[in-house]
Amino acid sequence: MPKPLSSTQIFLGGLWNDNPVLRQILGICSTLAVTNLLVNTLVMNAGLIFTVCMSSLTVSILRNYTPMKIRMMTQTLIIASYVIMVDIAISAYLPDISEALGPYVGLIITNCIVMGRCEAYAKNNGPWPAFLDGLAMSLGYAAVLLVIAIIREPLGFGTLLGYRIMPEGFTPWTIMIMAPGAFFTLGLFAWFVRAKFPQTAEEKK
Amino acid sequence: MKKRLYSIAFMFVLTFVFAAVVSAVKGYNEERIQTNQQVKLQRIILKVLGVPLDEKAPNQEVVQAFQKRVKPIEVKKRTLYVAYAEDGRRITGYALPVGGSGFWGPVYGMVSVDPEASKILGLAFYKHSETPGLGARITEPWFVKQFAGLPLFPMEGDKKIFYLKPAGPGKGANELDAVTGATGTSRAVEAFLNRDLDRFLRETWKSVKKG
Repeated sequence: MPKPLSSTQIFLGGLWNDNPVLRQILGICSTLAVTNLLVNTLVMNAGLIFTVCMSSLTVSILRNYTPMKIRMMTQTLIIASYVIMVDIAISAYLPDISEALGPYVGLIITNCIVMGRCEAYAKNNGPWPAFLDGLAMSLGYAAVLLVIAIIREPLGFGTLLGYRIMPEGFTPWTIMIMAPGAFFTLGLFAWFVRAKFPQTAEEKK
Repeated sequence: MKKRLYSIAFMFVLTFVFAAVVSAVKGYNEERIQTNQQVKLQRIILKVLGVPLDEKAPNQEVVQAFQKRVKPIEVKKRTLYVAYAEDGRRITGYALPVGGSGFWGPVYGMVSVDPEASKILGLAFYKHSETPGLGARITEPWFVKQFAGLPLFPMEGDKKIFYLKPAGPGKGANELDAVTGATGTSRAVEAFLNRDLDRFLRETWKSVKKG
């Protein structure tokens, strides 16, 4: 049994060393889909943070009672329940954003980060470290999405959080609103981080 | 054997607990979600009927305006929204729900016609799953505004009221611009809008005129 990680190590891992989006390239689908408007990104981030933390916590609490053979089924059930709750809450209180996010809230369930953390960490660790790990990983995800949204919204719409920030004569780059713009931004960002701050042997080459 | 029974019992209990919690959350918020959807529809109806309303007006204002200016009626099992002028007596138009299969999934919209059903006043789509940036451009102002003032005269033969043609100059009064790059969506919209409008003129409108 390896020595348990300290809270600082957990947070450093989620936010930087093992950042789910930049280092592990997980959760790309939603990263590309919801980052053309900052407000959508914020809501998506909140939904994911809630889901990852609560799923990790629940999986960890049940870890000593869950039969090994049906653990995946159990995790799926737990994650799905939390995602549906998020979906209901958003459509009840933020109907416009619910519309804009469309199927992507429901698709949090397929976000590899959620099940990945349950399987890789929560099922072998106590509830508190599992919760922290979920928080750190989802914050790492959220941070990357924020950076991408802050690049995409001003260039694509000329606004940030709906407020005009680009000069009057600015022509919006339509490509930044669409999927290719997200691919370029994410690709360049991940490349920059990995080249500038290499972590693994492969990155250091 | 014992292990298996335990697994089944474990999964059963867990599913039961989570299903109960999710149902409770849903039940608690159901009314709110319903209201949201209703208000959204009312906003669309007011918009196509040309009732002035701030786009960011709070829900309560929308409901009030709707109650004051619009009356839903049932004609031949189809809902028709009748709009009245400020005085509450003169009819300013009718709105009817339209919809059909788009390119990827169902498309829902609302069309309004003038009190004589001689031309279209407005059109809006409020639910669809067309490709963003391509088919989804049917919701953009340049597209829906083309329909305002379109005469409701079905052509001889194919019964069509309008045609969507590739954007360009030199077109007839009933030929509107299609969405470039979204031929599938444009064809679908042309098909179901013509169908629904033709049905309105032939069936619903006749009953309305009779009173």
